[in-house]
Amino acid sequence: MKQMMNLEVNGETHELIVEKDATLRDVLRDQIGLIGPKRGCDSGGCGCCTVHIDGKAVYSCLCYALSYDGAKILTADGLSSGAALHPIQQAFIDAGAVQCGYCTCGMMMSAKQLLDECPHPDEEQIRHGLSGNLCRCTGYAKIVEAIKLASERLAQ
Amino acid sequence: MALHKLKDFHTPHSLDEALDFLGKNSEALVLAGGTFLHGLEARGLMSDVEVLLDIRKTASTVDVTDAALEIGATTTLARLLEVPQITDAPWAAALSDALSHPPVQIRNTATIGGCIAASCPFFDIPTALIALDAVAVVKGAGGERRLSLPELFGGLFTNTLEPGELITKVCIPRGQGKTASAFLKLETNANDLAIVNVAVCVVVDGAGTCTKVRVALGGGVAEFALRSPSAEKILLGSKLDAATLRAAGEAVVGDISPMSDHRASAAYRSAVARVLIRRALERAVARLT
Repeated sequence: MKQMMNLEVNGETHELIVEKDATLRDVLRDQIGLIGPKRGCDSGGCGCCTVHIDGKAVYSCLCYALSYDGAKILTADGLSSGAALHPIQQAFIDAGAVQCGYCTCGMMMSAKQLLDECPHPDEEQIRHGLSGNLCRCTGYAKIVEAIKLASERLAQ
Repeated sequence: MALHKLKDFHTPHSLDEALDFLGKNSEALVLAGGTFLHGLEARGLMSDVEVLLDIRKTASTVDVTDAALEIGATTTLARLLEVPQITDAPWAAALSDALSHPPVQIRNTATIGGCIAASCPFFDIPTALIALDAVAVVKGAGGERRLSLPELFGGLFTNTLEPGELITKVCIPRGQGKTASAFLKLETNANDLAIVNVAVCVVVDGAGTCTKVRVALGGGVAEFALRSPSAEKILLGSKLDAATLRAAGEAVVGDISPMSDHRASAAYRSAVARVLIRRALERAVARLT
């Protein structure tokens, strides 16, 4: 069964008719057509579906869409401004922090929450901030480096 | 999408509205943060649910009085970390220790009421709340009642709420005098549920004698998190010296019935429970000032 709802996603308003049991991730991917939030574990264990709801990082696979009627969503798709990448995106490229890439969008959304709250994190804080995201390629060292780089660039 | 029978997704904006709805639709499943329900759904355990009652917007206030912290049931774990009476107080340190474990995505979503209603033995926050003598305030058509967490936990993933009842608040009595607590967890990785978790709270008088103590364990040491009366008996009235803390750790083994699963064997859980209890006690004692 379906129900109407509204979402503001990456600055655009969407009026949607969603299945009552649809997850936020499925609405973002299958109805709005975004590819930032990925489908990984379906159970809050991997972090690749991470998006921000009203400025806070969440697992979009663990959220029923209807719980967030009227909310503001930011996904990795919405980080850049036109052709200009967000400093976190550019830092991931420059530090070589992307291997297979499946975890990257979720990693960047967790990194954004961390840097929003703690602009100059040390390595322990970075690792703690990423504790909800898994990289199956185990490329954590470069990801930590990328977030340090992003932190320095955002301070400039 | 696995709730094939779902007919209604109800999102009340007040507690009264939620209780009224639940009174008339007692088969409705109450949804708070939802992080636990999705785990059940992914395993096909919610296929019969026809009505979801999303109470997320109804009870998220935190009131601090001289006697207690009264925390609305849908307060997120992230919000608890903004309460200085939790983060800066030695008596509440078990809760702030436990809150540091879930990843940010869970802290931003999961609620204090949801994590106890789930009656899941692998969660961290309930173990800490048991050590702090937290009480669940429950409302339904029959009025309000207060349940200790051991009274709330009915079994594996089963609570003792009556049809039409929901948890509205969690009350934590504020520690008085020289009180300190601590929580420790053993896990396979930073984002996994506990193999074993433990929380302790100790109160001492001016002479350093232990006048009150709580020893709690979770993480698959039983079907739900529980207290260890044997360990508490050893500690009460003692000077909390090293030998007593070690003896208390040994004593917990008799009070638990650990499970064997993909995370650890029952024997391993017993072995580490001993050590974690001793270390948590040492940590709490070091926090007494």
